[in-house]
Amino acid sequence: MNVIIPLLAGILLGLFLRDKKRIDLGKATFGAIVALIFSMGFTIGSNNDLLVLMPRIGVNAIVIALLTIFFSVVFVKAARKVVRFE
Amino acid sequence: MIKYILAALVFGVVAGYLNNNFGSLIANSWVSYYLFNFSLILLLFVMGFMFGADREAMAKLRRAGLKILVIPFSIALGSVVGGLVGGYVLGIGIVGSMAVSAGFGWYTLAGPLVGQLFGAELGALGFVVNFLRELLTILTVSFMVKVDRYAPTASGGATAMDTTLPVIVRYCGSEALITAFSSGFTLSIIAPFTITIIATLPH
Repeated sequence: MNVIIPLLAGILLGLFLRDKKRIDLGKATFGAIVALIFSMGFTIGSNNDLLVLMPRIGVNAIVIALLTIFFSVVFVKAARKVVRFE
Repeated sequence: MIKYILAALVFGVVAGYLNNNFGSLIANSWVSYYLFNFSLILLLFVMGFMFGADREAMAKLRRAGLKILVIPFSIALGSVVGGLVGGYVLGIGIVGSMAVSAGFGWYTLAGPLVGQLFGAELGALGFVVNFLRELLTILTVSFMVKVDRYAPTASGGATAMDTTLPVIVRYCGSEALITAFSSGFTLSIIAPFTITIIATLPH
């Protein structure tokens, strides 16, 4: 829910202000993305349980994660061809 | 862009580690909860705004219609196949590995749920695999977008509705917003069911 509210509010405001002067939001999002990624990194670094797990199951986890991503991309690419999704 | 993302991530990890292990300068929750949610909510609002103001993006979505649901279900199938291949290659049992992959990146779900159904060892694997999925999506987005316009969405899985959405939209443009969000949303809904169904297979 906390994801949907700001997204929906943004879309509605965007629709409402559609024909007004265009604002460049590139810079604002850049700063916020850096802050978001920093806080995600911080959460990893401050999570001792996760850091302890990594050396033990890290290799298996990386292999499975990479294969999962790889097949997801392949299946999406193939499905888009089949249903002609642009 | 990617070098700033990488730098932010590395600085974040180091800062988090130092703060947690060598005298807490600030409470972890200030960054992990407040800064995280504040930047995420701000980004979602701005992404929504850019989408709402973009005529072409809305028109494209209307043309695509229900076809956009093809994306999450292809991702779900691809993820489980990836888990199957991974389990086979590593010799760790394909059913457990498929369940791990069926977290679709939602590690706070996959860790506990897989742990409950398959034991603590696979639960830990479920947590780390899905956590890495989110991390790898952010780190590879600039490359992924060249492979396919929807590759970052595919890579992000369930996280495409929140944490990886800003990065995906940044690289794929406003028109990717609803496709990525609805894909992540659908995957988040089906993840618990998929993991539970896979657990009924003989293992």
